[in-house]
Amino acid sequence: MMPHSVPSKVCPEPFASGAEHSRQNGQVSAPFPESAQPGDTPAAIAHPVVQVKDLHLYYGRAQALCGITMDFPRHQVTALIGPSGCGKSTFLRCLNRMNDLIDEARTVGVILLDGQDITDPAFDVIELRRRVGMVFQRATPFPKSIYENVAYGLRIGGISSRALLDEAVENSLRRAGLWDEVKDRLRESALGLSGGQHQRLCIARAIAVHPEIILMDEPCSALDPRSTARIEDLIAELRSEYTIIIVTHNMQQAARVSDYAAFLYEGALIEFGPTKDLFTKPQKKETEDYITGRFG
Amino acid sequence: MFTALLLVVVLVNGLGAFWPGPVVQADLADGGTILGKWIRQETDPDTKARTVQFKTANRELDPQRMDFHWYPMEAIRHLSYPPNVFVLERVGNGDFYGFLEDVSAPCLVFASGDDAKKRFEAAIAEVRRQQAAEVQTIARRLSSLNYELQAVRHAILRLEYRRKRAAQGPASADSVVSVESDDRLAQLRREEQRIKDQSDGLVAEKLAREEALRRNVALFRVGSGQVHPIPLVDIVRWYQPNAMGLAAKLGHYLSKIWELLTEEPRESNTEGGLFPAIFGTVMLVFLMSVACFPLGVLAGIYLGEYAREGTLVRLVRIAVNNLAGIPSIVYGIFGLGFFIYGLGGLVDRWFFPERVAAGIPTYGTGGILWASMTLGLLTLPVVIVATEEALRTIPRGFREASYALGATKLQTLVRVLLPMASPGMMTGFILAMARAAGEVAPLMITGVVKLAPTLPLDGHFPFFHLDRKFMHLGFHIFDIGFQSPNVEASKPMVYVTTLLLVLIVLVMSSAAIYLRNQMRKRYQSRTV
Repeated sequence: MMPHSVPSKVCPEPFASGAEHSRQNGQVSAPFPESAQPGDTPAAIAHPVVQVKDLHLYYGRAQALCGITMDFPRHQVTALIGPSGCGKSTFLRCLNRMNDLIDEARTVGVILLDGQDITDPAFDVIELRRRVGMVFQRATPFPKSIYENVAYGLRIGGISSRALLDEAVENSLRRAGLWDEVKDRLRESALGLSGGQHQRLCIARAIAVHPEIILMDEPCSALDPRSTARIEDLIAELRSEYTIIIVTHNMQQAARVSDYAAFLYEGALIEFGPTKDLFTKPQKKETEDYITGRFG
Repeated sequence: MFTALLLVVVLVNGLGAFWPGPVVQADLADGGTILGKWIRQETDPDTKARTVQFKTANRELDPQRMDFHWYPMEAIRHLSYPPNVFVLERVGNGDFYGFLEDVSAPCLVFASGDDAKKRFEAAIAEVRRQQAAEVQTIARRLSSLNYELQAVRHAILRLEYRRKRAAQGPASADSVVSVESDDRLAQLRREEQRIKDQSDGLVAEKLAREEALRRNVALFRVGSGQVHPIPLVDIVRWYQPNAMGLAAKLGHYLSKIWELLTEEPRESNTEGGLFPAIFGTVMLVFLMSVACFPLGVLAGIYLGEYAREGTLVRLVRIAVNNLAGIPSIVYGIFGLGFFIYGLGGLVDRWFFPERVAAGIPTYGTGGILWASMTLGLLTLPVVIVATEEALRTIPRGFREASYALGATKLQTLVRVLLPMASPGMMTGFILAMARAAGEVAPLMITGVVKLAPTLPLDGHFPFFHLDRKFMHLGFHIFDIGFQSPNVEASKPMVYVTTLLLVLIVLVMSSAAIYLRNQMRKRYQSRTV
């Protein structure tokens, strides 16, 4: 009932969750005109760190991503926004091939990381995940000490030198703004920290392996406003060294922390541009509807 | 509820078994007098006649060689508790009740003029010292000679077997070897003869010494008034229950418990200790764990983490779950067929062909190794299912977090998943252990015996003798409770053994549960 087309590629059926979503939102009545063209990508992105070209993803027979093409700018924060089930998280998980873990997920398309296609099965996925770190919606500190949590990525990478580990742990915890709170109890279980500390610990754990890109999948959705503010400050600081791609449901957060924003709907990229432009003068009607809260 | 009742019965009877109850002297209507312990009283539901069961002991004096008797209540005229009555626990023929009359110890010298009891105490101490000094040293030498003899006999067997094989084989077998082996064989035979002679000499010496010691007797007057000599060496323990205070009774009780835990059984298992059975049980469970846990954990990990869901895996899983429902005796039969005759037979053919040829199986017969393997198989499903379940219940976020840091599947498994799954796995181990410790049926056909002469672990190379037969508390209960020639006398021991088995299972399970709780504290995330 919702014909929506992508120019070069036709998305067959609206996938299950999307269809459900549109049913639940009575406001969505008008069919969406057109999805973003590859040409819509702002020309300003001179040295993209990740280039996604015509990415499709299928869960079994259901299609979750329909031909996404976009470039991620280096050392900037890019926010992925869109209603639930629009494929933001799925898209994010393509960038470090987390979807490999899901048996029925199948990817078609090209994702270039510094010019190399990471969707190529020959591309070392371990290496990829070291270069593209990830922070999840739900903080999952390992049942180890705070120190071992941060050192985990280094240890599995084969680093066992005490001095190196000590230094990396301290640096990462400092960068994640957690050092002063935990420096006296590094040997204690990480499970004793609070929810907000857990998430910062996970960020420290991710940056300990010195990734180029950090993917954040709704990192603040389970946190109180105070912890959220801390994480947002942290994102602003980390920006100087890392490329950050963040999925968020929170429009204000996207507006606050991101330099670029991409609006996804029904598995397709609708609009992508500098956050300021996207929020103040969206080119597409559905973008405007979404950010003004008319649906979603 | 029912279990609790059962436990209370076991607890009361088991704990009470060693309490030194009073010995009563009953004067009967026909003029006779009996000495005995009041066991219980019963009323015939039809005639209302009341009868009392006494343990009268002194089995060798009874025409039917019984130590328990029933007397009608009305036949008993008078009951008294003479303080000077002695209870003797003996090497043979059960307990003895009587009054000490005199000590006749021709082989001993001690200060005269003391009263009978003092001399009795001194004589017993002296006899025990001499026995320890002389007879037991000889016994120890005999036992080590026995080992040597066994080794020499095996060497002879091996050599003979080789010669036979050489004789049957191609004629090219050179005569030099044969001459050499002739020499060697003759030498071995001389050695065998030497050990045999030495051993025979020792046996004769031991017998002579024992005979001499047996001449030291104590004279006891029994209820009927007759006086009987009891060789002092036969007396294991003596006490005067009617004259004992609470402290003395407590001391006696503790010494009995110590005996139970450390000594070997006597009197077709109805008296003495249970040490070999306790040791057998614990070692069996230990070996079972070694055999079963690694295999079960690996299988569980494979099924839970690596196997691709498909028909085969589903079949395997169904099979594993069904294994848990098979009666244990069936496992025993499988163990007999597969482990003992199959694997054990192969081991024997490969490593001990000479013994097979002589008709002596080594591993091809029941033993603690095969019994524990059989039990391991029996408990395998529990461990597999527990491991798989424990891994499955870990939230996906932990795996993803680990993978997202560039961990491989193995690293994730070893560093994150297994520690988190360990409490669940421990639960499986505990269940498996508790089940294995109580299982008797499969053991009965895979190597448990009512009396094992040697432990499966001792000071003789190679220390672990996994081919040996062993004793087991569960089987012990069955044996003394239902196979004993003297059921009445073995009743306390059945309760004690049951109590002990329950305690051992309890102790092992508690240790495992404690460990699991420690792990849980360390590894289980509060956020999940």
